[in-house]
Amino acid sequence: MSFLIRETLVYAVPLMIVALAGVFAERSGIINLALEGIMIFGAFIGAFFIYEMQMNEVFVLQSGAANWGTMQMFVLLTMLVAGIAGAIFSLLLAFAAINLKADQTIGGTALNLLAPAFVLFFIRIIANQDDLRMYRGDAASWFMLKKSFFGLKEADGFFVNTFLNKVYITTYVCLLLFVLLSILLYKTKFGLRLRACGENPQAAASLGINVFHMRYAGVIISGFLAGMGGFVYALTTSNCVANGDVAGFGFLALAVMIFGNWKPLNIAGAALLFGLFKCMAASYSTLDLDGNGQYLLLNLSKDPVWGKILNANFYRLLPYLVSLIVLAFTSKKSRAPKAEGIPYDPGKR
Amino acid sequence: MEQSPEYVIEMLHITKEFPGIKANDDITLQLKKGEIHALLGENGAGKSTLMSVLFGMYQPEEGVIKKDGKVVTINNPNDATALHIGMVHQHFKLVDVFTVLDNIILGAEETKLGFIQKKNARKKVQELSDRYGLHVNLDAKIEDITVGMQQRVEILKMLYRDNEILIFDEPTAVLTPQEIEELMQIMKGLAKEGKSLLFISHKLNEIMEVSDRVTVLRKGKYIGTVETKDTTKEELSRMMVGRPVQLVVEKDEAKPTEPILEVEHFTVPSKIHKNNAVKDVSLTVRAGEIVCIAGIDGNGQTEFVYGLTGLERPSAGKVKLLGKDITHATIRERSLDGMSHIPEDRHKHGLVLDFTLEQNMVLQRYYEPKFQKGGFIKFGAVREYAEGLIEKFDVRSGQGPVTVARSMSGGNQQKAIIAREVDRDLPLIIAVQPTRGLDVGAIEFVHSQLVAARDAGKAILLVSLELEEVMSLSDRILVMYEGEIVGELDPKTTTVEELGLYMAGAKRNNGQEASAS
Amino acid sequence: MKGFLKKSGTTSVLATLISILIGLVAGSVLILIVGIFDNKIGLSGAWDGIRLVFIGLFNTGRDASGVMTFGFNPANFGNMLFRAIPLILTGLSVALAYKTGLFNIGAAGQYLAGIAATLFVALEIPTTVVPAWIVWTLALLAGILAGALWGAIPGLLKAYLNINEVLACIMTNWIAANIVTWLFDLSNLKNVTEGTKTAYIYKTSFNGVETAKLGLDKVFAGSQVNAGILIAILFAIGVYILMTRTTFGFELKACGSNRHAARYAGIRDKQSIVFSMGLAGALAGAAASLYYLSGNPEFFWSTYQSLPAAGFNGIAVALLGACNPIAVIFTGIFMSMLQVIGSQITFLTPFNEYITDVIIAVIVYLSAFSLVIRMWISGRGKKKPVKPAKADAKKEVKA
Repeated sequence: MSFLIRETLVYAVPLMIVALAGVFAERSGIINLALEGIMIFGAFIGAFFIYEMQMNEVFVLQSGAANWGTMQMFVLLTMLVAGIAGAIFSLLLAFAAINLKADQTIGGTALNLLAPAFVLFFIRIIANQDDLRMYRGDAASWFMLKKSFFGLKEADGFFVNTFLNKVYITTYVCLLLFVLLSILLYKTKFGLRLRACGENPQAAASLGINVFHMRYAGVIISGFLAGMGGFVYALTTSNCVANGDVAGFGFLALAVMIFGNWKPLNIAGAALLFGLFKCMAASYSTLDLDGNGQYLLLNLSKDPVWGKILNANFYRLLPYLVSLIVLAFTSKKSRAPKAEGIPYDPGKR
Repeated sequence: MEQSPEYVIEMLHITKEFPGIKANDDITLQLKKGEIHALLGENGAGKSTLMSVLFGMYQPEEGVIKKDGKVVTINNPNDATALHIGMVHQHFKLVDVFTVLDNIILGAEETKLGFIQKKNARKKVQELSDRYGLHVNLDAKIEDITVGMQQRVEILKMLYRDNEILIFDEPTAVLTPQEIEELMQIMKGLAKEGKSLLFISHKLNEIMEVSDRVTVLRKGKYIGTVETKDTTKEELSRMMVGRPVQLVVEKDEAKPTEPILEVEHFTVPSKIHKNNAVKDVSLTVRAGEIVCIAGIDGNGQTEFVYGLTGLERPSAGKVKLLGKDITHATIRERSLDGMSHIPEDRHKHGLVLDFTLEQNMVLQRYYEPKFQKGGFIKFGAVREYAEGLIEKFDVRSGQGPVTVARSMSGGNQQKAIIAREVDRDLPLIIAVQPTRGLDVGAIEFVHSQLVAARDAGKAILLVSLELEEVMSLSDRILVMYEGEIVGELDPKTTTVEELGLYMAGAKRNNGQEASAS
Repeated sequence: MKGFLKKSGTTSVLATLISILIGLVAGSVLILIVGIFDNKIGLSGAWDGIRLVFIGLFNTGRDASGVMTFGFNPANFGNMLFRAIPLILTGLSVALAYKTGLFNIGAAGQYLAGIAATLFVALEIPTTVVPAWIVWTLALLAGILAGALWGAIPGLLKAYLNINEVLACIMTNWIAANIVTWLFDLSNLKNVTEGTKTAYIYKTSFNGVETAKLGLDKVFAGSQVNAGILIAILFAIGVYILMTRTTFGFELKACGSNRHAARYAGIRDKQSIVFSMGLAGALAGAAASLYYLSGNPEFFWSTYQSLPAAGFNGIAVALLGACNPIAVIFTGIFMSMLQVIGSQITFLTPFNEYITDVIIAVIVYLSAFSLVIRMWISGRGKKKPVKPAKADAKKEVKA
């Protein structure tokens, strides 16, 4: 059970934070279809930063537990770097959509094409292959939190095993950011104004709010979160390897945002659900659901009848299929920010 | 405060040009403290441009603006707000999903460490609404309250910002007669409290009732400023239009013959609320008459027309066209059976704005053998037909048949639709607000076309919100209120006042079954 | 009218050329930056790369002293025409949808559906029993049909459930990627004869099914070119006629431009949307069919982790050609030239083929505001009341 919760969180947390990235852009009135691309870019910059730091021995792993604090600082710093990279990359979208009043769907698509191309171009030059791995060691030995760091032992129970063992600090940073930014969106002057710009920019402008600035802010926050989310995804699900791909995760986050009706609490719920599906796809064969040492789903997939359907292919397909079905049921009720996707033109009233 | 200048705001000799047009040409407007000053003019007379200049959205090429006798520069809406100038826009500037209170404080929030503090704001708004009789639930969402309430929110927004100069841009267009009456009282109350009001309108009755002085614009030019008490409606309308206006449509007595459209117990569900938008409506329109459905906007007229034309499904009732049941027919079938439709919203339904004029001209007929052969469009025939219509109906555009509809003026877009629909020569024309947003010349044209169609034996069902149009154009009036036909009136014997009572739901004559006449 | 068309046509072509130029320059700048910072590559390496970006099509390799030589290279030309086949067709797919108000980001999934159907038909029907040309025709039709059906799904979802087609397309892309993997996983078409390769499907030539070459391979010696390019051009002309000359095209365009007005005029808006997406899907399916039926390409079937680039390149092809079907022929060939250049760069320099993807992405980015570029070309003096129609369309979707 601990494993299931941990693994679900591994997928749910980046989904959640990237979906929130979508919320900040769309609530300000800009459709950010480029979440996928920004994640790819953030993942690359994060991995590259770690690669460089390791190569130049800025951070050195010393006997595991002793300097785990330093290693956590290293992770936090990399998150910041990836976030800033994402924010800068998203400026391309902001410039096209806000200043040039471009078609936001095409602009976002362009970034989704640009990110993998750009990233792979450099990865090939840096690593002479199509993925960029850590310069030395692996993510688990460098960055994973273990209960032994806190002097805790096996017997310390469910809570410790689930939340303090074999987890990454990124999970908690993301959750904290998620809460803080949700409060920012709903309880502060900035949040009120941002949301007004996504609903009725003409109204906001008539009250002296600078719609351009607010939309830039929305997109930049969005880019930061998506870039950081991309790195978190690469760190926690693929051993800090950047390969110019996040397997449609950014698009899933968009879907999560829509199911969540652009509201943080609902998004958290939707992200957990999809995290569960993703977790099943990734590790159904090692899931011990009822704790009896038997891998139920693995056994099912080996069953001559059930295995025809309930196999790896099925679990990989599931998140996308479910999102399409949920989309079909929720689209009638969903309420997007009214002005999203429409370039703001001050001359128009 | 040593000297109190007579005018709080002066706009002197303002000239604002756009490429190809002088929107404001040497216009002067002076607003006294505590007065209600009406700004009168037709669509396109330059009222909106002038107000945009005052609000800093445009910079004038010439002229100065003075506040309390001192020259000021207004570069953006913030500057205007700082000078305590506020405006209720024609299209409300409200965020639908926010609460009333959030809308009022937006842009002027009180914060502590970035967090919004609403306690003081709530108290202040409460005081203001008590003082001016602007009662509204502060915690309701905008999308859940009536248009009249939304307007109160707009007024409260201005008062909350301590604005002294209040601009009302066409504020009565969306209100019921009762709400208009209340608004007039509120405006008078504001003036009494020392606020200065600018009231933009083209409705002479309201201007006569509420204003102290009137400034008239026509085609971008300043015509004059008069004291309301020294003038008359006729004089004002002459100033506005530049010639005596023909307020009555010339037409002969209607000679209705056989029924064309018969509607029985027609019911259409609402998309907004759970009730039916149209309830059990029955009526008949005969060849050679104009039947008008009058009523205040939002009383089910739109849904009724959608149901009749097939854009929405009715939940009960029956529609017959020339005796044939078309209740469940497709839109195309209705069209082939003899129904043409001048839609309410010309941008949403009437035109494909990115198509050329000629493509729009055949939007209803492209599939006829005249315009296609074996699925291929006959471009020559389309061009010829479009040119004919353009000539016959005097549709003006930059490049004739190949003009993109989007680039045409609203009046000419409407003319194009009317040309298309009237020229189809079908027995029934459903015309919904056919003159909305048009200037006087275009209105006269539309009216004459409809009368000519009637005289040619067509049945015409007109839906209109304009009382004058209803009174002058129709042969019979049916009043719709909350989805029901609440009365049938004869335009020759009824008065505007009586019509107003029916429209407001204060009176009904159910005894007289509408369809029985 | 002619004068007007000519004028707007010229600005479109100019805007396209400017976009291309900026894209190529952006790619060159990137190469230059790498050259400056990477001592192993240096400025001379960068110069080689930049020359290839612009005139790589005419590269004939390196001479004995290692200097790049230039001249007519028939293999490059032939391969350019060959690779243009799927690009033109997916470009047409995106262009047709765009002209009818839909953004077909699902060409990748439709392409995959086309691959699966084509390969199954081409490899499962024994040519010992059925003549190869019939199998070829059936395989093409199967690919077209599969693409059409897969494309119709987002169309149905949009028309009847009001789901944004972009999101529906993205989801169906990934669903297609997984289903195709699954199908081939179950199939016995996995290439086991060449033991070095994992997760590849047999070439169609394995079953003797191949597109006719019509002697084109003689003209462009050493290349893979075949009659597929002619078929792609025929498709483009067909789409052009459909969209500009027929009442059906008129209906689709009316619907795309203003769904409400089309409905008002008695056009069946929901059916039109499904037809548009179905046709777009058919074209993407045809792209896959013609590419794989050429006999040579092998399909990597374990595709669940990534989507075929062909679908997304179609977006670039269409947008660069301003969604005009005839222009798409040329932009498709241009994009395939970039791909040929990409291989040259990988082969001849320390850089790699991804540089061409960067160039393509930059061009798509520029086409997002091509309107701005076009207005800039035609002079800023005139104030045009133009507004992108997409904004309206999107507003409806979300409402």
